[in-house]
Amino acid sequence: MAMTESLQKVDHTALKVNQLTIILLNLAAFILVLPWLTLLVALVMLLGTLLKRPGFGFVYSGLLKPLGWVKPEVLMDNPQPHRFAQGFGGVVMLAGAIALFGGVSGLGWGLVWLVTALAGVNVFGGFCVGCFVYYWLSRLGVPGFDRHPPLGTFPGMKPKGARLDDDH
Amino acid sequence: MMITEILERALLALILIGLGFGACWLYNRIFLLRIHQRRFQLEGVRPGTPLILYFASPACAPCHTLQRPVIQQLVEQLGESLQVVEVDVLQQPELARQWGILSVPSTIILNARGEARYVNHGVALADKLLKQLSSL
Repeated sequence: MAMTESLQKVDHTALKVNQLTIILLNLAAFILVLPWLTLLVALVMLLGTLLKRPGFGFVYSGLLKPLGWVKPEVLMDNPQPHRFAQGFGGVVMLAGAIALFGGVSGLGWGLVWLVTALAGVNVFGGFCVGCFVYYWLSRLGVPGFDRHPPLGTFPGMKPKGARLDDDH
Repeated sequence: MMITEILERALLALILIGLGFGACWLYNRIFLLRIHQRRFQLEGVRPGTPLILYFASPACAPCHTLQRPVIQQLVEQLGESLQVVEVDVLQQPELARQWGILSVPSTIILNARGEARYVNHGVALADKLLKQLSSL
Protein backbone atom coordinates (compact mmCIF):
# COMPACT_ATOMS: atom_id res chain seq x y z
CA MET A 1 0.00 0.00 0.00
CA ALA A 2 1.10 3.55 -0.65
CA MET A 3 2.55 5.49 2.21
CA THR A 4 0.19 8.23 3.26
CA GLU A 5 2.83 10.92 2.67
CA SER A 6 3.05 10.03 -1.02
CA LEU A 7 -0.59 10.94 -1.55
CA GLN A 8 -1.57 14.40 -2.71
CA LYS A 9 -4.66 16.57 -2.58
CA VAL A 10 -6.94 15.74 -5.51
CA ASP A 11 -10.19 17.59 -6.09
CA HIS A 12 -12.59 14.89 -7.28
CA THR A 13 -15.24 17.42 -8.23
CA ALA A 14 -12.82 18.88 -10.80
CA LEU A 15 -12.33 15.38 -12.20
CA LYS A 16 -16.09 14.80 -12.41
CA VAL A 17 -16.76 18.11 -14.15
CA ASN A 18 -13.99 17.27 -16.61
CA GLN A 19 -15.55 13.90 -17.41
CA LEU A 20 -19.06 15.32 -17.65
CA THR A 21 -17.83 17.96 -20.10
CA ILE A 22 -16.20 15.26 -22.21
CA ILE A 23 -19.46 13.27 -22.23
CA LEU A 24 -21.57 16.27 -23.27
CA LEU A 25 -19.15 17.39 -26.00
CA ASN A 26 -18.88 13.85 -27.38
CA LEU A 27 -22.66 13.51 -27.44
CA ALA A 28 -22.94 16.85 -29.26
CA ALA A 29 -20.24 15.75 -31.71
CA PHE A 30 -22.04 12.47 -32.40
CA ILE A 31 -25.55 13.90 -32.77
CA LEU A 32 -24.48 16.88 -34.90
CA VAL A 33 -21.77 14.90 -36.77
CA LEU A 34 -18.88 17.17 -35.82
CA PRO A 35 -15.57 15.27 -36.18
CA TRP A 36 -13.65 18.49 -35.46
CA LEU A 37 -15.23 18.57 -32.01
CA THR A 38 -13.93 15.09 -31.23
CA LEU A 39 -10.47 16.26 -32.31
CA LEU A 40 -10.78 19.30 -30.05
CA VAL A 41 -11.80 17.11 -27.09
CA ALA A 42 -8.85 14.79 -27.77
CA LEU A 43 -6.39 17.68 -27.93
CA VAL A 44 -7.72 19.29 -24.75
CA MET A 45 -7.48 15.95 -22.92
CA LEU A 46 -3.92 15.40 -24.10
CA LEU A 47 -2.92 18.99 -23.31
CA GLY A 48 -4.42 18.62 -19.84
CA THR A 49 -2.41 15.45 -19.31
CA LEU A 50 0.81 17.23 -20.31
CA LEU A 51 -0.02 20.13 -17.98
CA LYS A 52 -0.92 17.66 -15.20
CA ARG A 53 -4.46 18.92 -14.75
CA PRO A 54 -7.97 17.99 -15.94
CA GLY A 55 -8.24 19.14 -19.56
CA PHE A 56 -11.60 20.83 -19.06
CA GLY A 57 -10.71 21.90 -15.55
CA PHE A 58 -11.28 25.51 -16.59
CA VAL A 59 -15.03 24.80 -16.79
CA TYR A 60 -14.88 23.94 -13.09
CA SER A 61 -12.40 26.50 -11.80
CA GLY A 62 -13.51 29.35 -14.08
CA LEU A 63 -17.27 28.85 -14.11
CA LEU A 64 -19.01 26.25 -11.97
CA LYS A 65 -16.95 26.67 -8.79
CA PRO A 66 -17.11 30.50 -8.70
CA LEU A 67 -20.85 30.30 -9.34
CA GLY A 68 -21.16 27.92 -6.40
CA TRP A 69 -22.95 25.32 -8.51
CA VAL A 70 -20.54 22.59 -7.41
CA LYS A 71 -18.52 22.13 -4.26
CA PRO A 72 -14.92 20.93 -4.07
CA GLU A 73 -14.29 17.44 -2.78
CA VAL A 74 -10.59 17.35 -1.98
CA LEU A 75 -9.28 13.92 -1.03
CA MET A 76 -5.84 12.49 -0.42
CA ASP A 77 -5.26 10.46 -3.57
CA ASN A 78 -2.74 9.67 -6.28
CA PRO A 79 -3.10 12.13 -9.17
CA GLN A 80 -0.96 9.98 -11.48
CA PRO A 81 -3.63 7.32 -12.23
CA HIS A 82 -6.16 10.05 -13.06
CA ARG A 83 -3.66 11.67 -15.44
CA PHE A 84 -2.96 8.30 -17.00
CA ALA A 85 -6.69 7.70 -17.45
CA GLN A 86 -7.13 11.09 -19.10
CA GLY A 87 -4.08 10.61 -21.31
CA PHE A 88 -5.19 7.17 -22.39
CA GLY A 89 -8.67 8.50 -23.09
CA GLY A 90 -7.14 11.36 -25.08
CA VAL A 91 -5.16 8.93 -27.22
CA VAL A 92 -8.29 6.84 -27.90
CA MET A 93 -10.21 10.02 -28.73
CA LEU A 94 -7.42 11.10 -31.08
CA ALA A 95 -7.52 7.73 -32.80
CA GLY A 96 -11.28 8.11 -33.11
CA ALA A 97 -10.97 11.60 -34.59
CA ILE A 98 -8.35 10.41 -37.09
CA ALA A 99 -10.62 7.53 -38.08
CA LEU A 100 -13.51 9.95 -38.57
CA PHE A 101 -11.41 12.27 -40.75
CA GLY A 102 -10.17 9.20 -42.62
CA GLY A 103 -13.72 8.18 -43.46
CA VAL A 104 -13.86 5.14 -41.14
CA SER A 105 -16.85 6.49 -39.28
CA GLY A 106 -17.90 3.21 -37.62
CA LEU A 107 -14.52 2.79 -35.93
CA GLY A 108 -14.26 6.52 -35.20
CA TRP A 109 -17.61 6.85 -33.47
CA GLY A 110 -17.04 3.52 -31.72
CA LEU A 111 -13.87 4.86 -30.12
CA VAL A 112 -15.60 8.13 -29.21
CA TRP A 113 -18.42 6.17 -27.57
CA LEU A 114 -15.90 4.00 -25.74
CA VAL A 115 -14.36 7.09 -24.11
CA THR A 116 -17.84 8.48 -23.42
CA ALA A 117 -18.95 5.23 -21.76
CA LEU A 118 -15.85 5.01 -19.58
CA ALA A 119 -16.26 8.65 -18.54
CA GLY A 120 -19.90 7.80 -17.71
CA VAL A 121 -18.83 4.86 -15.54
CA ASN A 122 -16.54 7.25 -13.67
CA VAL A 123 -19.11 10.04 -13.25
CA PHE A 124 -22.16 7.91 -12.43
CA GLY A 125 -20.55 4.76 -11.05
CA GLY A 126 -17.56 6.29 -9.28
CA PHE A 127 -15.18 3.82 -10.90
CA CYS A 128 -12.17 5.07 -12.85
CA VAL A 129 -11.31 2.32 -15.34
CA GLY A 130 -8.12 4.05 -16.45
CA CYS A 131 -6.97 4.28 -12.82
CA PHE A 132 -7.75 0.58 -12.40
CA VAL A 133 -5.55 -0.19 -15.43
CA TYR A 134 -2.80 2.03 -13.95
CA TYR A 135 -2.86 0.13 -10.64
CA TRP A 136 -2.96 -3.16 -12.49
CA LEU A 137 0.16 -2.18 -14.44
CA SER A 138 1.71 -1.11 -11.14
CA ARG A 139 1.07 -4.55 -9.68
CA LEU A 140 2.73 -6.09 -12.71
CA GLY A 141 5.80 -3.95 -11.99
CA VAL A 142 5.68 -2.00 -15.25
CA PRO A 143 8.24 0.85 -15.05
CA GLY A 144 6.68 4.27 -14.51
CA PHE A 145 3.61 2.86 -12.77
CA ASP A 146 4.81 3.05 -9.18
CA ARG A 147 1.74 4.22 -7.24
CA HIS A 148 -0.55 1.99 -5.22
CA PRO A 149 -4.19 2.60 -4.24
CA PRO A 150 -4.74 4.63 -1.04
CA LEU A 151 -5.13 2.44 2.03
CA GLY A 152 -8.46 0.61 2.14
CA THR A 153 -9.45 1.69 -1.37
CA PHE A 154 -10.34 -0.70 -4.18
CA PRO A 155 -8.18 0.16 -7.23
CA GLY A 156 -10.05 2.67 -9.39
CA MET A 157 -12.61 3.62 -6.76
CA LYS A 158 -12.71 6.97 -4.99
CA PRO A 159 -10.61 6.97 -1.79
CA LYS A 160 -12.55 6.57 1.44
CA GLY A 161 -9.88 8.43 3.42
CA ALA A 162 -9.94 11.84 5.03
CA ARG A 163 -11.65 14.68 3.22
CA LEU A 164 -9.73 17.94 3.34
CA ASP A 165 -10.83 21.53 3.40
CA ASP A 166 -10.41 23.16 0.02
CA ASP A 167 -7.52 25.59 0.10
CA HIS A 168 -7.16 26.03 -3.64
CA MET B 1 -27.38 18.31 -42.34
CA MET B 2 -30.99 17.22 -42.37
CA ILE B 3 -33.02 17.57 -39.19
CA THR B 4 -34.13 13.95 -39.59
CA GLU B 5 -30.51 12.81 -39.51
CA ILE B 6 -29.94 14.76 -36.29
CA LEU B 7 -33.04 13.21 -34.76
CA GLU B 8 -31.96 9.73 -35.84
CA ARG B 9 -28.55 10.20 -34.27
CA ALA B 10 -30.08 11.66 -31.11
CA LEU B 11 -32.34 8.61 -30.90
CA LEU B 12 -29.36 6.30 -31.37
CA ALA B 13 -27.50 8.18 -28.63
CA LEU B 14 -30.49 7.77 -26.32
CA ILE B 15 -30.62 4.04 -27.05
CA LEU B 16 -26.90 3.69 -26.31
CA ILE B 17 -27.27 5.66 -23.07
CA GLY B 18 -30.26 3.46 -22.18
CA LEU B 19 -28.16 0.36 -22.80
CA GLY B 20 -25.54 1.79 -20.45
CA PHE B 21 -28.06 2.33 -17.67
CA GLY B 22 -29.51 -1.11 -18.44
CA ALA B 23 -26.08 -2.61 -17.87
CA CYS B 24 -25.93 -0.80 -14.50
CA TRP B 25 -29.34 -2.22 -13.58
CA LEU B 26 -28.18 -5.72 -14.56
CA TYR B 27 -25.05 -5.30 -12.44
CA ASN B 28 -27.24 -4.36 -9.49
CA ARG B 29 -29.43 -7.43 -9.99
CA ILE B 30 -26.39 -9.72 -10.14
CA PHE B 31 -24.96 -8.01 -7.05
CA LEU B 32 -28.22 -8.63 -5.20
CA LEU B 33 -28.35 -12.27 -6.27
CA ARG B 34 -24.84 -12.75 -4.90
CA ILE B 35 -25.63 -11.29 -1.49
CA HIS B 36 -29.27 -12.41 -1.29
CA GLN B 37 -28.73 -15.38 1.01
CA ARG B 38 -25.91 -13.95 3.07
CA ARG B 39 -26.34 -13.71 6.81
CA PHE B 40 -23.56 -11.82 8.48
CA GLN B 41 -23.38 -11.06 12.14
CA LEU B 42 -24.80 -7.57 12.67
CA GLU B 43 -24.73 -6.25 16.20
CA GLY B 44 -27.95 -4.96 17.77
CA VAL B 45 -30.27 -6.18 15.01
CA ARG B 46 -33.84 -7.12 15.97
CA PRO B 47 -35.02 -10.17 14.02
CA GLY B 48 -38.26 -9.78 12.09
CA THR B 49 -37.88 -6.09 11.26
CA PRO B 50 -36.76 -4.64 7.89
CA LEU B 51 -33.30 -3.18 7.98
CA ILE B 52 -31.33 -0.53 6.14
CA LEU B 53 -27.67 -1.40 6.12
CA TYR B 54 -26.01 1.94 5.52
CA PHE B 55 -22.32 2.09 4.53
CA ALA B 56 -20.55 5.41 5.05
CA SER B 57 -17.21 6.88 6.00
CA PRO B 58 -16.20 10.00 7.95
CA ALA B 59 -14.67 11.51 4.82
CA CYS B 60 -17.76 11.04 2.65
CA ALA B 61 -19.45 14.42 2.27
CA PRO B 62 -22.67 13.17 0.58
CA CYS B 63 -23.05 10.62 3.39
CA HIS B 64 -23.32 13.37 6.00
CA THR B 65 -25.08 16.09 4.01
CA LEU B 66 -27.57 13.94 2.06
CA GLN B 67 -27.83 10.28 2.97
CA ARG B 68 -27.81 10.48 6.77
CA PRO B 69 -30.58 13.14 7.00
CA VAL B 70 -32.71 11.03 4.65
CA ILE B 71 -32.23 7.96 6.82
CA GLN B 72 -32.96 9.93 9.99
CA GLN B 73 -36.15 11.19 8.37
CA LEU B 74 -37.20 7.61 7.59
CA VAL B 75 -36.43 6.47 11.13
CA GLU B 76 -38.63 9.26 12.53
CA GLN B 77 -41.36 8.46 10.02
CA LEU B 78 -41.40 4.67 10.37
CA GLY B 79 -40.38 4.30 14.00
CA GLU B 80 -40.07 0.76 15.31
CA SER B 81 -40.99 -0.81 11.99
CA LEU B 82 -37.56 0.04 10.62
CA GLN B 83 -34.07 -0.45 11.92
CA VAL B 84 -30.86 1.04 10.59
CA VAL B 85 -27.33 -0.21 10.97
CA GLU B 86 -24.63 2.26 9.97
CA VAL B 87 -21.29 0.78 9.01
CA ASP B 88 -18.17 2.92 8.92
CA VAL B 89 -16.22 1.23 6.15
CA LEU B 90 -12.92 2.44 7.60
CA GLN B 91 -13.73 1.00 11.03
CA GLN B 92 -15.21 -2.22 9.65
CA PRO B 93 -13.52 -2.87 6.30
CA GLU B 94 -14.11 -6.62 6.57
CA LEU B 95 -17.87 -6.15 6.85
CA ALA B 96 -17.83 -3.82 3.83
CA ARG B 97 -15.82 -6.38 1.90
CA GLN B 98 -18.21 -9.20 2.84
CA TRP B 99 -21.11 -7.19 1.48
CA GLY B 100 -19.18 -6.25 -1.66
CA ILE B 101 -19.22 -2.53 -0.95
CA LEU B 102 -16.73 -0.59 -3.07
CA SER B 103 -18.03 2.96 -2.66
CA VAL B 104 -19.90 5.10 -0.14
CA PRO B 105 -22.65 5.95 0.49
CA SER B 106 -24.27 2.62 -0.24
CA THR B 107 -27.47 1.26 1.24
CA ILE B 108 -28.73 -2.31 1.28
CA ILE B 109 -32.37 -3.00 2.18
CA LEU B 110 -32.98 -6.27 3.97
CA ASN B 111 -36.44 -7.69 4.51
CA ALA B 112 -37.78 -9.06 7.84
CA ARG B 113 -36.15 -12.43 7.10
CA GLY B 114 -32.78 -10.72 6.72
CA GLU B 115 -32.59 -11.21 2.95
CA ALA B 116 -31.04 -8.45 0.86
CA ARG B 117 -33.72 -7.12 -1.51
CA TYR B 118 -32.37 -3.82 -2.83
CA VAL B 119 -29.00 -2.18 -3.13
CA ASN B 120 -28.34 1.50 -3.81
CA HIS B 121 -24.87 2.59 -4.85
CA GLY B 122 -24.65 6.33 -4.20
CA VAL B 123 -27.16 8.58 -2.48
CA ALA B 124 -30.69 7.13 -2.29
CA LEU B 125 -33.40 9.70 -1.60
CA ALA B 126 -36.31 9.21 0.79
CA ASP B 127 -38.90 8.44 -1.90
CA LYS B 128 -36.80 5.69 -3.35
CA LEU B 129 -36.03 4.10 0.02
CA LEU B 130 -39.67 4.31 1.08
CA LYS B 131 -40.77 2.65 -2.14
CA GLN B 132 -38.23 -0.12 -1.64
CA LEU B 133 -39.25 -0.62 2.00
CA SER B 134 -42.95 -0.69 1.19
CA SER B 135 -42.46 -3.38 -1.44
CA LEU B 136 -40.76 -5.82 0.94
